[in-house]
Amino acid sequence: MPTFKLDGQDIPFEAGDTIIRAAWKQGIEIPHYCWHPGLSIAANCRMCLVEIKSARPMLLPILAWDDKKKDYVEATKPKLQPACQIETAEGMEVFSKSKQVIEAQSAVQEFLLLNHPVDCPICDQAGECKLQDYWLAHQTTSKRKETEPVHKPKGVRFGEKIVYDAERCVMCTRCIRFCDEVVGDHVLDMRERGNKNEICLSPGRELDHDYALMTEHVCPVGALTSRDFRFKARVWFLKSAPSVCNGCATGCNTYVDYDPRYQRVERLRPRDNPAVNAFWMCDDGMLSYHRFHQDRLLTGRVKSEGAVAEVGRTEAVQAAADALKSSKKLAVVLSAQHSNEDNFVVLKVGRDLLGARHVFLGALDPVASGWKGDEILKNADNNPNRAGATKIAGVAKLESTAALAKAIDAGEIDAVLSLGFAAAESAEVLASLNKVPHVSLSTHPGVLPLLATVVVPVATTAEASGTFVNAKGMTQGFQRAVLAPGGIKAAWETAIEIATILGHDLSMKKLPDVRAAMPALAAPATAPSAPPAPSAPAAGT
Amino acid sequence: MEPNYEALDDDGQLELPAEPMRLNMGPSHPAMHGTIRMVLELDGETVVDVDIQPGYLHRGFEKSCERGTYNQVFPYVDRLNYVSPMLNNVGFALAVEKLCDLKVPERGQWYRMALGELARISDHLTCNSAGAMELGAFTPFLWCIKARDYVWDILEQETGARLTHSFGRVGGMAKPPTEMFKESTLAVLPAVEEAVLEAESLLLKNRIFLDRTQGIGLLSKERAIALGVTGPMLRSTGLDFDVRKATPYLFYKDVDFDVPVGHDGDNYDRFMVRFEELRQSISIIRQVLEKMPTDGPVDCPDLRYVLPSKEAVYNTIEGTIAHFKIVMEGLKPPPGQVYSYTEGGNGELGFYVVSDGSGTPYRVRVRPPCFHNLQAAREMLVGDMIADIVPTFGSVNMIGGECDR
Amino acid sequence: MSKKVIDRLKAMFGDKILETSDFRGDEEAVVGPKDWVEVATFLRDDGATAMDQFIDLTAVDFPLRPQSAPGVGGRFDVVLFLRSMTLNHRVRLKTRLPEDQPLTTLLPVWAGANWAEREIFDMFGIKFAEHPDLRRILMYEEFVGFPLRKDYDIAETQPLVPYRQVEGTDKIAPFGAEEGIPFGRIDWIGRIEANDLPVSTGIGVAEGARQNLSQGPEYKGAEPTPAADE
Repeated sequence: MPTFKLDGQDIPFEAGDTIIRAAWKQGIEIPHYCWHPGLSIAANCRMCLVEIKSARPMLLPILAWDDKKKDYVEATKPKLQPACQIETAEGMEVFSKSKQVIEAQSAVQEFLLLNHPVDCPICDQAGECKLQDYWLAHQTTSKRKETEPVHKPKGVRFGEKIVYDAERCVMCTRCIRFCDEVVGDHVLDMRERGNKNEICLSPGRELDHDYALMTEHVCPVGALTSRDFRFKARVWFLKSAPSVCNGCATGCNTYVDYDPRYQRVERLRPRDNPAVNAFWMCDDGMLSYHRFHQDRLLTGRVKSEGAVAEVGRTEAVQAAADALKSSKKLAVVLSAQHSNEDNFVVLKVGRDLLGARHVFLGALDPVASGWKGDEILKNADNNPNRAGATKIAGVAKLESTAALAKAIDAGEIDAVLSLGFAAAESAEVLASLNKVPHVSLSTHPGVLPLLATVVVPVATTAEASGTFVNAKGMTQGFQRAVLAPGGIKAAWETAIEIATILGHDLSMKKLPDVRAAMPALAAPATAPSAPPAPSAPAAGT
Repeated sequence: MEPNYEALDDDGQLELPAEPMRLNMGPSHPAMHGTIRMVLELDGETVVDVDIQPGYLHRGFEKSCERGTYNQVFPYVDRLNYVSPMLNNVGFALAVEKLCDLKVPERGQWYRMALGELARISDHLTCNSAGAMELGAFTPFLWCIKARDYVWDILEQETGARLTHSFGRVGGMAKPPTEMFKESTLAVLPAVEEAVLEAESLLLKNRIFLDRTQGIGLLSKERAIALGVTGPMLRSTGLDFDVRKATPYLFYKDVDFDVPVGHDGDNYDRFMVRFEELRQSISIIRQVLEKMPTDGPVDCPDLRYVLPSKEAVYNTIEGTIAHFKIVMEGLKPPPGQVYSYTEGGNGELGFYVVSDGSGTPYRVRVRPPCFHNLQAAREMLVGDMIADIVPTFGSVNMIGGECDR
Repeated sequence: MSKKVIDRLKAMFGDKILETSDFRGDEEAVVGPKDWVEVATFLRDDGATAMDQFIDLTAVDFPLRPQSAPGVGGRFDVVLFLRSMTLNHRVRLKTRLPEDQPLTTLLPVWAGANWAEREIFDMFGIKFAEHPDLRRILMYEEFVGFPLRKDYDIAETQPLVPYRQVEGTDKIAPFGAEEGIPFGRIDWIGRIEANDLPVSTGIGVAEGARQNLSQGPEYKGAEPTPAADE
């Protein structure tokens, strides 16, 4: 592999890599604002300036302070080059810590902060803000300007999801480039000049495409903020769990940021994975975390003589075991919304232990739910694990719940064990599910729990670790973030509990046991093959 | 005491049971300053052996330092030698500044010296008067405590608290000196001198006091050095090791003071060394107040380590960011290890700070002077009688907070 | 900063001095655990170093650090601080050892190492071979674990310890019914049974007669409550 030298260290590079990209791949950070590995090069922030050794250096005339003479004297300095724009070449020698570079970094930082408002206490970006981090690392002095900073519009509503603050903006144009290149929608642009620069919307438009929250994600400062997350939590209280979005079959990799003091998920962020979602996520996925806490089934329900009684979880588990005890023709409904482990254990309990011979799939219908896929990230199927559930069942395709309703009407089924809340059809079409003992293990209210005789609450993907198989056939793992409220357990644990009450011993107690027993679903792609982001995960790239 | 003649055996020796008696001088005892347990083996009234068991005041100081930031260590450090908290504050601040290579401005250094010496005065007043009280002399105790209260009034005026100031900061002090500092301190010092004189006048010609302190609790120079004894206890044996003279820090080389030294290493010497040191501290304070500039910054102006002024924080973005980084993430010294030592109230107070480059200290080791001094107490006590334990132990000035941390 | 001590050590011991450092003016030398006592003794006895004063001995825990050679490197740093009374210079001697490996005691070299090593054992679990009395010093005997290790969580709780039995003493159980000052203690059972709130605390139950004042001075009281261990 060809290499070049950065501060004396040999860095391998691929043809076409810029200095900053080659260094980034090795985990070395050259400070930058406007560069982003997933976007085109702008080279407007000038923070990544480095000194490149040259046989014919371009020397600029400057006035340097001479301590002995106590006066400025004429001198020269080599012209510094932006590392984000210069392509690497074999044998190139780059210095990112020389005296000139350090002075340049301090000067650039000073300029960026020159008119910056004193907003840290109210700015969401505090704690993951590049201006803060680079000030400490590269400037550490006060600015030399004493006049009033330039004032620009603050709190400009860019759309339903984004608020723009022009005073905080460093005009890196990451948001503009993102909208242009990744979304293909030129809705943002720059207006005015010099220190009156601001980002503006295309006339008559709002930031209304499906990736608006990504503009907030790429913004290195607090100029673009998400209205959803605004003032909700301070980032240093949040811990991050690597996870997978459960909005659609793309399976974008995420970080679930939760507050461990209150056990609440406060937001999602994309996790880099070049094979799946590159650096991005769609808005529906970003906002899907609300489902972890809103509208949850937290207690069990038992339906008897038409009346629904709320019961505790243990009672519900007992009622579920009673409901399935005497079934001879059980049907199992797997869920495209639940993890492979959940599906596997429910299938094992239903089919192997309780003798079910019919297996169906409960999944959301994209058309009925108003979901549209697109060419960028959103898959046409809004279920994260259809492929996984199907593979677990060991068939090429599983029949939908409509077929289950028909089978019940035909008398072939005398009890149902269903996983998940989702079904493709409406409650009217599936009304027969109510006519037989129907145990539903569900996280949220939905068609299936509505039609169940016993509902047992189970944990969501933020509360129990598991794996999904996405539309490309990749198995991706997600890790538990918060503890499930009220002692609720994962669906696979609940199914084991029901089986134990019914006298079966599954010899699976913990997740590794379940995973060991599952059929191989392709190796879990837990570690993205991209290099680790140079800064800690909590800071945006 | 007349022996019981009937119990004499053929050689005229008193027949008494031969095994030593084990007596527990438990942690909860009025004379065991700050909880120490001593399991004594007594032969009659003579101490044959003593097992000193510290640790009753162990609060996990060193472990707690690994939890927060560097500036959050100052409240912990206050509670080490809690009769001279300013000396601990200054000691720790100097250690972190050595690590970060920070230079505190002149005025800040003089200010630290003044407050430190006031703390030393408070420490010696407490030790000597409490020691005298335990011998039965209650009056000098009250007089010295009254004087100590004047000192604490000054400290309260300056730092806001009488005892647990948390006033030191890395790179300076929490606040600059008040306008009345020089005047009020100069007004208090004569009162302190007078209290000491009066206490001495009651004690130094008192037969009981002299009998109970002279020749009791002897410690030799060689043993003292090998055991790591420092401070007034070492100087009472005759060696003049004082960190302020041996490796001067702050501006100690610019003030004139003597280091009082004893002869025999007995309780009396320790008592006298402390009162003499107190007088020297008063002299140091007078010189410091004279030499301290009346204006100028007290804190090093390095925004990486020292909080900017509130005006800068509220009005400039750099001030806000600096404040944010120092408070939320902690100031980040370069990775490395340093050992920095000062003269605490009881001897060499050292801080061995290990930094991993982050805002949280990796390890803060306090070299506790009275922990090592207490180790010597065993030799001082063996051979003396039970009643001698009280003055000897009092003269060690074992401060539980520092010994056990 | 002059590096006299380090230079002298390097001249005498050559390769046995694994590393030296002069960070911020603190002279420091690192040796292997096998040479610990030898180098320390040399520092005390040599005329050019004359480190007769023991300052401190402590340890630092680096749980993720691998061993650099068998028996060298690894988890713990044991650091010795020395000073020369005559020459007024200092040095820091350090050694690195893995977990579960004991280090020979420095007690014969400086008496002050006694309690310092006991504290290191207490806080880190490093054992010192040939130490005459290696027991915990700051923690109580029944303490489980070594607090200053990085894997000892600061919020760790300890198991409750049963009352310690000491051989050869006639200790009475503390905190039993009769412990403490008997007068001033209120007999609630008596009060409740007698339904007599104004019963004064008075003298303890053994006095009997004062148990129930409302019944007049002639009342001799019930049988005194038997003592707790009768």
